[in-house]
Amino acid sequence: MRTFQRKTNEKSPEPTKEQMVRYKDFASLSHQYERLAKRPKKPLYRDPKLFLLLLIIGLMFLLIFLES
Amino acid sequence: MFKKKKHHPLNEAQQIDLAKKDHRYFGPLYETYFEQIFRFIFKRLGGNEEAAGDLVQQCFMKAMANIHKYEDRGLPFSAWLYRIAQNEVNMFFRSQKKNYSVEISDRQLYAILEEGNENTSFQQEDLDQLIEIINNLEETQADLIELRFFQQLSFKEIADIYQISEANAKMKIYRLLEKINKNWKRES
Repeated sequence: MRTFQRKTNEKSPEPTKEQMVRYKDFASLSHQYERLAKRPKKPLYRDPKLFLLLLIIGLMFLLIFLES
Repeated sequence: MFKKKKHHPLNEAQQIDLAKKDHRYFGPLYETYFEQIFRFIFKRLGGNEEAAGDLVQQCFMKAMANIHKYEDRGLPFSAWLYRIAQNEVNMFFRSQKKNYSVEISDRQLYAILEEGNENTSFQQEDLDQLIEIINNLEETQADLIELRFFQQLSFKEIADIYQISEANAKMKIYRLLEKINKNWKRES
């Protein structure tokens, strides 16, 4: 919640140029946005190498299960 | 023989269209409006630099993520950004466990009293009373007072932020001033 109160000194709360420059950074904003918004280009399950690996692991488990 | 190609600077509508296609083109819009939005948030937070820095980044992040929803309805693009900033600041206030105090100068308070009173000699207690009345207003009403008298936005700018007509914004603020004056006279 916000409450207003009377200011003790009469200085206006205007930011200085230096303060603004300190926080102005489009590159970091863009990077953050990419990290948050962009999914990896190829989902893992669509990766043929990973799919093959998962298939082999699955087959190995099946063989072990059948042997026992 | 080889003519130098002239590069025409893009206008704002073209910049917005490009930013809708690829967020990396949001840069020029960020450059144009950063200071304006930072100043707005900084003042609303009563000069809290660090929080203003975080909120301004969040505000532009939301703007980038939602720019595809932006439609040009004849209002300036800045009004859309102000609306996002206004929401971010209000969310910040609500998230604070303790009351967040914003300091207001006497000069800004005099402006409210002078707007609705013929008498222009006010005492210190009058200002204390006025602060109390404003603190008891609903959040949306206090926002209107803040935008008009503390942020010193024009009626047109306020109307654009709330997507209402200028006359409607004026009416809302004058009704609010009437209410404040009524309460103020009753208490004094």
